[in-house]
Amino acid sequence: MVFVLQHVEALEILLQGLCGVHRERLRVHEICLKNGPNLGNVASEVRLLCDIEQPEPTWTVKHVGGAMRGAGAEQISVLVRTMVESKASKNVLRLFYALGYKLDHELLRVGFAFHFQRGAQITVTVSSVNKMLKLHATDEAVPVTPGIQLVEVTAPASSETYSEVAAAVSSFCEYLAPLLHLSKPGVSTGVVPTAAAAAASLMSDGGGTTL
Amino acid sequence: MPIKWVLHWQPNAGTSVNSQILNEVSQCIEGINGTKDGRWKATLTFYKPMLREHSVAADLPRDFLGISLPEQPNKYFFVIRAQRIVLEADSSIQTIMEKLQSYKSRVSLNFEGFQYQLGDFQLRVGKVVPTHSENLRGIVMEVEYLPLSSIEKSRQIFEEFLEIWQEALSKRSLPGHFMHMEPNFTEYGLPDHYSSQHTAIQYATVMAQLIASVQSVQTMRN
Repeated sequence: MVFVLQHVEALEILLQGLCGVHRERLRVHEICLKNGPNLGNVASEVRLLCDIEQPEPTWTVKHVGGAMRGAGAEQISVLVRTMVESKASKNVLRLFYALGYKLDHELLRVGFAFHFQRGAQITVTVSSVNKMLKLHATDEAVPVTPGIQLVEVTAPASSETYSEVAAAVSSFCEYLAPLLHLSKPGVSTGVVPTAAAAAASLMSDGGGTTL
Repeated sequence: MPIKWVLHWQPNAGTSVNSQILNEVSQCIEGINGTKDGRWKATLTFYKPMLREHSVAADLPRDFLGISLPEQPNKYFFVIRAQRIVLEADSSIQTIMEKLQSYKSRVSLNFEGFQYQLGDFQLRVGKVVPTHSENLRGIVMEVEYLPLSSIEKSRQIFEEFLEIWQEALSKRSLPGHFMHMEPNFTEYGLPDHYSSQHTAIQYATVMAQLIASVQSVQTMRN
């Protein structure tokens, strides 16, 4: 789920209150690779995520599959898609280059995340997306859309549990309604009319207000 | 983790491996008081690129291997020897490779057999057979020295052990011997401290030796 938002501090206070856990800082260098012209039966894409928030950066290989389609998918308010991740050693970019994959684009996500259990293992990330002006130059990254943050709420599910997980994610998102409306990726919901007032209220009393 | 050497059986010129040799090797380990304590299995898979019609694999690796090891069942290793690359990943990387549809498994080989304890050493002896087949393609032996992790510090201990081992085995007059080809781990960017990535490289090296010895037998026959 994606939304743009300007009241980041207020959202952080709200999430802190809702989740009961502390936020984790997020700084991820994301490298998107695509197969070369001769390789593979189909066009394929793989993402290499380097967590540069850690003292010793860690790498993850991520494959994002197509979204679930059909009447069942349309009835639920969240997007369901296959996603496979694997941790990998630091030379993973070199391996994929050797296998014939090419750099498509790269970006840097900076923000924070909350991980907690609420009917499902939910992760909320709030991040700004930055582009690099020079190859891999994460220190010189600039925001793609200044002042705008991306909010994503995700939870892992299996084919047996996805409807309950989708319900858990939707119900959690309702708590965020005064500040933002979350939508499926690609669908914009615009700014929530109550956002400014809700943010001001959260900022004034540190999240004590019942929304 | 403890350091190990992976050795392969090098048949004498004009001979090939057979299961009798494997039996004799196992008996020899028991003869020097090795105690059997279970089975082991490692799997090595050759991947080949899936190419679009009329295209050639000129710049794509021809020796891309995937390896699973018994001591790290949740991990998977990729090795491209020609480019000196070893990668350690979660075993879910295999699912990612399947989804990408860029490389497919060409053939898989199992390395399987019994393991033995012998003082501070753990020995594993096994046959190399294609999955879904019983055709013996080779014999391997892992020698693991449990107290040490430094390759350099343990070198002398391994050399002394192998001297005793080769002498014990020589009494059986088998048509070949175990060989250790030590890869240059530094070229792969690995430190002296031993890890499963070192083991994966050793398996890839052993595999290359097995292929080379099969090819040389075929050349002699032709």
